[in-house]
Amino acid sequence: MRISSSTGGLRRRRSHGLLALGAAFTLIVTGCGGDDSESSTTTGETENTDSNETGGSEVTDGGSESETRELIIARDMDINSLDPSRAYCDTCQIYLTAVYETLITVDPTDLTNRLPRLASNWEANDDNTVFTFMLNPSATFADGSPVEAKDVKWTWERLHNVKGSAGYLMDGIASIETPDDKTVVATFGAPNSAFLPIVSAPYMGIMNSDEAVAQAGSVSDENAETADTSEEFYLGTSLGSGPYILESYTEGDALVLAANANYWNGAPAFPGVTIKQVKDSSSQLQQLQAGDVDIAMQISIDSLGQLEGDPNLAVSTIDSYNYVYVAFSPGSTLTGGEQLQDPNVRLAMKLALDYEGIIDATVAGNGKLQASPIPNGFEGSAGLALPAEDLDQAAQLMADAGLADGFALDAVYPKVNVYGVDFDIMMQKVQQDLKRINIDLQLQPVEFSQWRETINATGIPVTAVYFAPDHTDTSQYPGYFGMMEGSPWSARAGGGAAGAPIINPDQAPLLAEALAASGDAKAAAYAALGQSMIDDLIFMPLVNPQLVLAAQADVKGMHYSGCCNLDLSLLSIGS
Amino acid sequence: MTVSVTTSGSGMSAQRVSRIKAVGGLLRHPAIAFGVMISAAWLVVVLTVHWWAPYDPYESVGERLRSPNGDHWFGTDALGRDVFTRVLYGARQSLPISVAVIACALLIGGLLGAVAGYFGKRVDTVVMRLVDVTMAFPPILLAMAVAAALGPGLRNGFIAMVVVWWPIYARLLRAQVMAMKHKEHVEAAVSIGATRSRILRRHVLPLSFTGVMVNATVDLGQVVLLTASLSFLGLGALPPAPEWGAMITEGAKNFYQWWIALAPGLAMVTVVLGINFLGDGLRDVLDVKVASK
Repeated sequence: MRISSSTGGLRRRRSHGLLALGAAFTLIVTGCGGDDSESSTTTGETENTDSNETGGSEVTDGGSESETRELIIARDMDINSLDPSRAYCDTCQIYLTAVYETLITVDPTDLTNRLPRLASNWEANDDNTVFTFMLNPSATFADGSPVEAKDVKWTWERLHNVKGSAGYLMDGIASIETPDDKTVVATFGAPNSAFLPIVSAPYMGIMNSDEAVAQAGSVSDENAETADTSEEFYLGTSLGSGPYILESYTEGDALVLAANANYWNGAPAFPGVTIKQVKDSSSQLQQLQAGDVDIAMQISIDSLGQLEGDPNLAVSTIDSYNYVYVAFSPGSTLTGGEQLQDPNVRLAMKLALDYEGIIDATVAGNGKLQASPIPNGFEGSAGLALPAEDLDQAAQLMADAGLADGFALDAVYPKVNVYGVDFDIMMQKVQQDLKRINIDLQLQPVEFSQWRETINATGIPVTAVYFAPDHTDTSQYPGYFGMMEGSPWSARAGGGAAGAPIINPDQAPLLAEALAASGDAKAAAYAALGQSMIDDLIFMPLVNPQLVLAAQADVKGMHYSGCCNLDLSLLSIGS
Repeated sequence: MTVSVTTSGSGMSAQRVSRIKAVGGLLRHPAIAFGVMISAAWLVVVLTVHWWAPYDPYESVGERLRSPNGDHWFGTDALGRDVFTRVLYGARQSLPISVAVIACALLIGGLLGAVAGYFGKRVDTVVMRLVDVTMAFPPILLAMAVAAALGPGLRNGFIAMVVVWWPIYARLLRAQVMAMKHKEHVEAAVSIGATRSRILRRHVLPLSFTGVMVNATVDLGQVVLLTASLSFLGLGALPPAPEWGAMITEGAKNFYQWWIALAPGLAMVTVVLGINFLGDGLRDVLDVKVASK
């Protein structure tokens, strides 16, 4: 796969005898296959990469090597679909950004700085109910046909009507008009100051509507939820305008992209990009060291020492907007749900956690505390009190609730390792902490699909989940975590389909107020929402981890994007 | 003098002396002696570790991910728990469940196999086709499928392993019983009117016991590995149980902290080695076919 002339790809290798022996030993005794046990030497100084390129429409100049060398990325993929109206995952963000361009995008270094992509201009009316976008006349799809207003209307209506996980982004839309081929007017029934950030979300990428109807038989009207059966088509074909097109996708193996030969905004930097399925962090690290991959996306912070001093690699850690949290379902019928209906018991549990210890155990201290479901750095996060341990008060609350002897709680959580956080380790630490107030957390790690089924069916007394932003506006957090009609967690906290949603009547008006406001008033409304979500005592954000950016030293433009995870159009090869 | 009086005066005592001599003879076999020594050491660990283990296996007792040192002989894991202590306690997870799996498989499989072998005809056909179907699946895959269907946890892992293992003993006992039921002493018992169940209990099964016990001993090591494999794959012990396979999974996640996986790996090697030596030695001594070669 890798071009042999690549300077970054050549490595002197020596086997670490002890590691190899240990690995072989392990595999022999367990009788199970595994990954490479080989690693390379690490000498010299570490280089940091901070060359974030900005400007979604400015494709970096690919050097001569970029023109012939494919980019290979190691990642544990979590793809649920490649249909833009149904995809909803971290890897989907990377894929959709590369293949289906949005009208506007966000500067990775400044969330408030919106940049043109398919739209060259845009404007909103004073009360944020009408948004007008003027499309770039040069923009074309991969088949050479122009990107037109009807494509935008069709795509957004399909996203809304298919009702996939990202369909909520179009909530509140009243109409989408196309006065001419290059103008789109989106009108909302109520103020929606979040819409411009939402338009930059990868899930809002524009599809070639003519081809989608002709080739895939896709449907965008009100019946799309049941009438559209074209999801499978998009596993083999893409119909976007981005710098790359889908070449193939094999679940559990690789997502292969090829350069869009007709790309309207300059030649893509790479002839192809392969996102290779590599499950665990140590395998990603070894393949990066060996030069088998250019970028490793999920290297554990605990392993960073192995990369120190390798002159062929560029490694850095940066703040992120991702976080992991523990959540309660007081309405759950599983063991312990009943006790959680007392908010003081939930408060006791919150106070019993050793937050600094959790950050240390999960990401070796390379993370931050977070006050509410609104992550650090987002509007409304500033000024909220961070969680703190108070074991005495926790014990007192338990005694007051008549539960001094404790009780047992089912804790079902997905068996995942995200953002460098191993959920098994995190939940064992939480279990240790809660044991101090005699709460016996019964850990049950399950596959993600089983977890989703359980949480939606019955709720789960105590669970752990993760969240990465879909776009750069705070509204997504109350929309997802708020105890409001229709929010996913309102139903889950209430016990899923078997229970009744928990509603906090203060939050919907606060969200409406935030969406109608601007400037300080908007930030204040979001901060009030953040405090209200803290007071719900349904969520305990545990870690806002730093991300490890690890790549070959000649990969330029490595970054973390608040809207899009990793924008492949910003990457290139350079000296 | 006293001894001679006792032995000559009591048949039971003579039997006991004879047994002691037999055991002494077995222990003179180097493989058996080595196997017994290791197995006995682990048995002592299982029974007494809670009195003398240096730390609590569930508590964080030191800095996380520390390499082996004077305070923590096998280092610490990602939560700062003492790996040495957890490895010792791991024996309490793996060994009892392995013995229980063999015992249940022997009971269920042995009973079905003996009945099939002795009664033959339709009973034999039904039981043996069931055995064939079960044994058509690779053991680890069948165990994984059953454990996945039942959900993770050592109890479900135990059920999965019994499902995998019973056909082995059904087949073994059937063969032993079929060979035994045409022996003269069995035919003599038939001729004097002994019931079928009495013949099976008194004249057939006791003579089939030796081969089965040798097989069970050798299998014990395999079950220890299967238990660890299920836990390694996330289908066995649940966190925070200090189970060897689960610990190796954690070690695989922290690949560069080699001690986390190495320690339970070493524990498994010693257990399986000891049991295999014991099983092989017993087969050498007790199995007539092997002994006569």
